Amino acid sequence: MGQGKTRYWRDIRPGETFETAAITLSTEDILEFAADFDPQPYHLDNGAAAASIFGGLCASGWHVCAVMMRLLTDTFVAARIDLLGSSGVGALRWRKPVFAGDALSSTITVSECLAPVDKSEFGRIVCAVDVSNQQGDSVITLTTTLLIGGGSREAGSDG
Amino acid sequence: MDKTPFIRSRWFEDIPVGEFHVFGSYTFSEKEIVEFGKKYAPQVYHTDPDAALDTVYRGLIASGWHICAVWMRMMVDYMERFATGVQDGRRNGAGVGFENLEWLKPVRPGHTLTFTYEIIDKPDKVIREKWGVIRSRNEAFNQYGDLVFSFVIDILAERAPDV
Repeated sequence: MGQGKTRYWRDIRPGETFETAAITLSTEDILEFAADFDPQPYHLDNGAAAASIFGGLCASGWHVCAVMMRLLTDTFVAARIDLLGSSGVGALRWRKPVFAGDALSSTITVSECLAPVDKSEFGRIVCAVDVSNQQGDSVITLTTTLLIGGGSREAGSDG
Repeated sequence: MDKTPFIRSRWFEDIPVGEFHVFGSYTFSEKEIVEFGKKYAPQVYHTDPDAALDTVYRGLIASGWHICAVWMRMMVDYMERFATGVQDGRRNGAGVGFENLEWLKPVRPGHTLTFTYEIIDKPDKVIREKWGVIRSRNEAFNQYGDLVFSFVIDILAERAPDV
């Protein structure tokens, strides 16, 4: 039951920043994701990875994106923000490979807050996200548009 | 079997702008949607078919990053099927980044997406002395013909060695 502490789109302001916890990727994590979604030699095999552009076994770039979403989701849920997913990514760059044992954490900075369009139930916030490893090097940076609820149903405004 | 050359088997210089490929189709199962959601996007609309009914999505939907991951798998499988030549993976290029990615419509259990790929540009850049950039527009359509997902990605391809 709501305690009135859930945060909706109108409760978020440009400039607000969130720091996530860290997730460490194991060799097994890297191999499992690669086997399911990105079975290329440099994500599956040490020898091939050593000869590749990355110089060693590294996580799929999409695995890093998925871990970013986990970090973001956990942080927003803990902050009681009514996160309803994402509508897109303006731009993303893979800056450095992620190797087994790397611990990834993220800084999320809100740059824009947009009210619901037409009769949609959610507002949107544009965020700059910087995911870095334990050395503080950025491994991916992106801008993404997140959908945030407006609380209409909780407010009993139906009908 | 028809072996159409593809990125891995060709030098950057030999890959033409305008080339168009259909990677194939993939049907998302409830089990896979929930499994991905629990690992990477634990919100009820990705993890719990019943609780999802009471959300703005009115049912379970795939995480957008799950759609991205399946796109990657479709591309890798397509390359495996159609690439000729180099087998050691040394010429597999990395992704540099992407832009204008949009998740336009929910993807639900049982939905089938068909993934298309079109080379739209070869920016005039040389990366680490031997790589060129192939820019492609990628789209996915559901079984109703609706565009549900699109983005533009830059992927490296190895330049031909100087003679």
